[in-house]
Order: sequence, then structure tokens, then C-alpha cells
Amino acid sequence: MNTEMLYALRDVAGVPSHPVLFLILGVLTFALHILTVQVMLGASGLVIWGALSKDAYKRQLAQAMLGTAKIAVSVAVVLGVAPLLFVQVIYDPFWYTSNVLSATWVIGFIVILTVGYLLMYFFYAKNHHLATQKTVCPGSMILSLALMLVVGFIMHVLVVQMLSPDQWMQWYAPNGEIDASGRGLHAYNLWRFAFFISLSVLVIGSWLLAYRHYISHRTDVDSGYLQWLKGLAGALSLAGGILAIGFGIGWMLTLPESQASFGFSPWVWLAALMIALTAVMPKLMGNKVNAPLFGYGLFGLAAVALILVAVAREMLRWNILFGDFGYNALDYAVNMDWYSTLLFFGTFLIIGGTVLAYFLTVAWQAGQTDGVYTPSPAVTRLGNLSIILITLWIIHFFVLGLWVWLG
Amino acid sequence: MEMLGLYPTWLEPMLGSGWVVAVISTIHVLASHTSVGAAMVFAYLAVVAYQQDKPELLDYIKKYGLFLLVFSYVIGSITGPGIWFSTTVASPRGISALIHSFVWKWATEWVFFVIEVVGVYLVVYLVGKVDQKTHMRIAVIFGLASYTTMLIIIGILSFMMWPGKEVWFTEGGYLNGFYGANTFAQLAMRTAFMFTMTAVVGGIVASGIKELAFKKAMLRRLAVLGIVSTLAGSLLFQWYLHTLPEQAHIVLENRLPDYFQPALMMVLSGILAYFLFTLIQPRLIVPAIAGVMTVAILVFGLWPEEVARESIRKPFVAGQYVYSNQVIARDVPGMGIKSEIPLLEDKGFLKSHVFLPENLRTVTPDNARAVGHALALTACSNCHSLTDTGIRPLATYFGGNSDVGEIKDYLLGALATGNTLYMPKIPLTDVEAEALAVYIGALDGEK
Repeated sequence: MNTEMLYALRDVAGVPSHPVLFLILGVLTFALHILTVQVMLGASGLVIWGALSKDAYKRQLAQAMLGTAKIAVSVAVVLGVAPLLFVQVIYDPFWYTSNVLSATWVIGFIVILTVGYLLMYFFYAKNHHLATQKTVCPGSMILSLALMLVVGFIMHVLVVQMLSPDQWMQWYAPNGEIDASGRGLHAYNLWRFAFFISLSVLVIGSWLLAYRHYISHRTDVDSGYLQWLKGLAGALSLAGGILAIGFGIGWMLTLPESQASFGFSPWVWLAALMIALTAVMPKLMGNKVNAPLFGYGLFGLAAVALILVAVAREMLRWNILFGDFGYNALDYAVNMDWYSTLLFFGTFLIIGGTVLAYFLTVAWQAGQTDGVYTPSPAVTRLGNLSIILITLWIIHFFVLGLWVWLG
Repeated sequence: MEMLGLYPTWLEPMLGSGWVVAVISTIHVLASHTSVGAAMVFAYLAVVAYQQDKPELLDYIKKYGLFLLVFSYVIGSITGPGIWFSTTVASPRGISALIHSFVWKWATEWVFFVIEVVGVYLVVYLVGKVDQKTHMRIAVIFGLASYTTMLIIIGILSFMMWPGKEVWFTEGGYLNGFYGANTFAQLAMRTAFMFTMTAVVGGIVASGIKELAFKKAMLRRLAVLGIVSTLAGSLLFQWYLHTLPEQAHIVLENRLPDYFQPALMMVLSGILAYFLFTLIQPRLIVPAIAGVMTVAILVFGLWPEEVARESIRKPFVAGQYVYSNQVIARDVPGMGIKSEIPLLEDKGFLKSHVFLPENLRTVTPDNARAVGHALALTACSNCHSLTDTGIRPLATYFGGNSDVGEIKDYLLGALATGNTLYMPKIPLTDVEAEALAVYIGALDGEK
């Protein structure tokens, strides 16, 4: 597959804004998506750990993490839509080819993810009182986590296959005979996969510190549980960091020969440094993690680490596709469309920012309140503003639409 | 040399890739339409609960919401991107055409998706934990945000059938592609039927309510919603048909089975009868009956509708310029798009297709059937199964004819010239037609 062929696969309609916007948004939204995936994986692991234990603290944690995991899957799915969208815009030749070559697995991805999520709900339905009552059907939760890992592996394969255009024809037509079954999983790097999975241990450690701080104001939470959580979060962060850096080194050592020096690039060092910092911070902070800044801030630090990991991952992809195959994602033909570009950023920043600020404030405050929570006038104004903004958006949709249609 | 940027082909031997997309899409339409309709019903009920001090309505919102978390926010949320995944592997250039024109619109929809997902959890889990007015406010935001997701996707679905305005072909522009008569007719029709689905699925939850008086009241509310929305949807369906392009009407009249229209009327009558029964005898409705009705709508209502919608835009798959076999069929000067038909007429598939093994680029007596298979994969398999099951099996269209000469004559006479209704123009070269005929001629014998 030469460079001319790769360019021939590009969409003939071009892109509606400069490609760099899609590149940046792809990186940022991937970081958010993978962060939520790691919360889900880490929380699921803790659910199983607690559900199989008789220890009261572990079971109490398992019950809380079951709620976290359940919501995290929803959020991970919806956040995953964005990087899935942006990768198709500027890397379409690679993404589409990789998908078609493993099409059966791509369809399997949908089925397996659905079954995995339903199994989690099944376990939840059977174990409303996990903290105090015997675990019912733990196998469903174990199978759910296993299926989530399978789903992650399929996605891993699709991303890795993108990077080997020189092997596509051999995969599609081995020895000149076309195999259109899409049943093959052709390329993977277990070090890379293990790196991303192991980050869930680090991320869930940071998440536990935030959770600990969130519940610390409740009167029904005993101090022994909080102390135990602190130790567990510190241990998980450290272990996760060590594992991730270990697997990350393995990944860098197994890169294609042409990219052998990528492991020494500043992108990798920056990401590794931030992972290490996130891993040791809970220990370094000691009792300072009781302060809100650190209680919640360390999860923010984990998010920054993930953004840097996403940047390094993107730089590697860029280096391979441009360096080895001459494909420049940024020279995509532009059919500039100002209206839809501005509409997205306006909606994202103004409506998304306002509504989510309102929603998250209410959710957070309600969780901190004993009894019924009534928001302050300022928060209520934010809610009213949210309604006004979305209503205006809908009005604009119809007014502009009718003007275009009838004009 | 100029290359034809076609992707590899995925061949699903049992159903055909087109039906895989249809199955996932149909499930998604039920889950997502129900979700959007329910979000708006929740907003209405929350307002009524607040204004008339009826907290039991909030209990219903919570119960229906918990049901939706699985029904719509597991199955619907996953099958949504699932449609992307399935179209990616079944019709990569079709989905690519939509993505590259409407990426920002989809990204905008994503913002509302995020609001929707956070919103549904708040609507469900904050009942009784926040004051009623705040809950009402959250429910209204959730309802409005949900509806915007429908507003956005409808324009893209309409473009898939036909760009909003003819001027899009010459001038381009997102707005010209997105907005048109079909956009609003489809939006109105889907909005109505969305409430029908909400009423049917909501019956599963309402029929399980223990307190009889409340159960009857809720089921009657849903029955009224269902009757009004089904009648409105049926009328709006006529408007929708009226906005379809002439080509779609020709296909409707010639390619869909005769029983399609009467069957559709029977389905709508059946739905109305169910709601009337619910209105008169709500006590007799149990979750199993409402569940069966939901499945019936999926199988007898949505499936044929989705398959028909897919059929009437043939031979195109997107925007009246991408053929279902992925070839760019016409110039679109407004977007700088050039037809690939001249390239095919000049070089043929074999010399220009990116994903073709070198040993199949030249036809020999030994490889003619393998070349024909490769051509059938490329040019036919998106719409015609190459086995004897699944979507429109190719062999059945030739009635067991194994005469290579006759098949070749048809391919060159009717297909290569674009003179077959419903079919793309497939400009095969002489040697390509020969190879494809060899392959098709042998199909019947392979059974």
C-alpha cells in the first residue's frame, strides 16, 4: 500500500474545518473516554474483590463501586462517541480499512459490550445490599469485567491495525486469495494493551481519594473506613503507576524498528513523569489528602496524566503514518463551513458548559446534603439559564431551517 | 496512475452486511425514539406533578426511568455508535460521506448526548432528594436536550435520502444539504411515532404498578398519547411520502411488494386497537402484553419501515452521489467531488481498485472465476448476497442461468450502461464482464 493509494482512500468531500481541530479534539476526547473506561475497569475490579470477600470495608466499597461502574459504562460509551467521530474524519483510510478487515469482530464488539453491560446490571439487580448481604451470582460481574476487557482488546486491535498499511493486502488477500470474512484479528501489542489496562489501577486509586473526600462529611460513615480507604488508594496508585510504567517500557521496546527512538521522545518522558507523579502523590501528601484541593485534585492530576498519554499516543501514530508511509493527516482538503463549525463550539462551550455546571453542582450538593436539597438562587439561575439556552438553540434550528428550506 | 479509493469488502454470508446494519438500526430506532419521547413525557409529568402536587407521578418517572436506563441507555446507547460501526464495515464510503459533511453537526449532537446521559441519572436518582421544583427543572432540561438529538439526526438521515436543496450539488454548504422539505416532514412524522413508541414501552412499566387506580390512570394517559400520536403519525406519513423525490416513488411502486402498503395500514390499525383496548380496559393490561406489543412494533412496524427507507434511496447509499456499491456516481461541483464513472469506463475496476491482489488484475482462463468473485464482492455484494441466504441473493436474479454469454450480454447491455431501474451504473470492461459472468454462471452450481 503506497502513499498514493492511501490518499486515494480519503473521502472526496474533504473536511469542513482545518484538520488540526479534529486532531486536537480527538486527543482530548480520547483522554476523557479512556479515563472513564479506566474508572469503570478499576471500579469493576474492586466490586469483584469486595463481593468475594467477607471483610465489611471491602463489601462497603464494593457496593459503592458497583454504582460507580454502572454509571461509568454509560459515560464511557457516550464520551467514546467523540473520538470515534474524529478518527473517521482525518484518519478515515486507516480506520475504515482496519474495521473492514476485522468486521466480524467489529459487530461482535457491539454484541459483547451490550451483554457485558447487561450482566453488570443483572449483578446490580441481584445485589442491592452488597455491603450487608451475601453476594448473589458473583460470576455475572466477573464475566461482565471479562467481556469489557474483550471489548477493549478488539478496540486495541483496530487501532494497532491502522498503523500497518504495508500489511493490509496480505491480511485481506493472503497469497492473492481474497478473504472477505472479516474474522481475523491481525495485529496487536500486548504490552500496549496491558499499559492501558494497568492505568485503571492508577486511576481508580485517585478516584478512591475523591470518593473518600466526597463521603467524609456524612455522619453515617465511620472513620476507620475512611482511614482504610486512604491506605488502599495510596497502594493502588503506587502499584498502578509501577505497572503502567513497566508495561509502557515494554511497549516502547516493541515498537517497529523505524520508531525505536520514540521511547526517548519528550512526549513519552512527559507522560511517564506525570504517571509517576500521580502514583506517588498520595504517599507524599500524607494527611493533606484530607483537604478538598488534594482530595479531588489528585483525580484531576490523573486526568492530566491521561491527556499526556493521549498526546504521546497520537504523536506515535503521526510518526508512523507520516514518517513511515508519507500520510499527512493535516493536508486534508478543506471545504470550510463556518456555520457548523461555530455552531459546534458555541454549543459545546456555552450550552454544554452551562448545563453540565448546573447538573454537576446539583448532583454534588444533593449528595452532600442530609434530607432534601434546595439549591441556592444562584444555582437555580444557572438551571433557568440552561433551559433558556437550549430553547433558543431549538428556536434557531427551526427559524434557520425554515428560512433555508423556503428561501 | 489515478486510483479508485474503494475499501476492502466485508461479506457476511448468512444475512448480508446490509441486513446486519438494518437489524442494529431497527433496534436502535426503537430504543432511541422511546428515550427521546419518554424524556419529553417526563418533563410534562414533572411539571404536572409540581403544579398539581401529584408526587405519585414522580414515582412513575423514577420507575420508567430505571427501565429506560437498561432499555435505552444500555441497548440504545450502544447500538447508536453500533450503527456507525456496522455501516463502517458494510458501507465505509457511505458513512464517510455523511461524517465528512456533518461532522460538526454530529459533534453538536454529542454535546446533547452527554447532557442527556447525565440528565437521565439525575432525573431518576434525585427524585425525593431535591426539591420538586428543581427536579422539574432538571426534567425539562433533560427533555429539551433529548429532543435536540432528534432534530440533529433527522437532517442527516434526510440528506442520506436526498440533499435538502438541489443547490447543494452546485454550491455545497452544510445548510443546503441539511435542510429541505423531507427534513421537516420526516421530523414531524418521527416525532409523532416517537410518542407512540414511548406510550407502548411506557405501558410495560405502568402495567406493573400495584395500586390499581394509579395504574389505570397512567395507562389511560399513555393510551391517549398513543392514539393521538399514531393518528398524527399516519397523517404525517402522507406528508413524508409527498416530499420523497420522484425516483423514490418509482422504486416504491416497482420494487416494494404489493402487500407493503396494506400491511403498513394493518400494523397502524393494530397499534390503534391496542391503545383503544388499553383505554377501555386498562386493568387487563399486564407487563407481558405490553412487552409483546413492543416486540410487535419492532418486528412489524420498524423493521419494514427501515428496510423500505433503505430500499427507496437506491441505487444510492448517501446524498444521491455515492452508489450503494461505494462508487462516486456523479460530479458535485459544490463540494469539489468528481464522478468516478469516467475512470471506471476508462480503466475498469481491475486496473484502478486499491484493494485488489495483483494476481487478479489481469484476467486469464485460470483465474476468471476468482476475478469474477472479486468483482462481485466489489460491485454487487453491498446489495446482493453471494450465498443463497440473506439480502437479495445474486444467483436468484439469474434464474439458474449458467450461460456465460447471456449473462455477459446482460451485464454489458443493461448494467454497464446504467439502464436498470434501481441499479447503479456499473461500467464493466469487456474482460471484467466476462469474468463476472463466469462467476455468476457458476453460482447456481455451487448451491
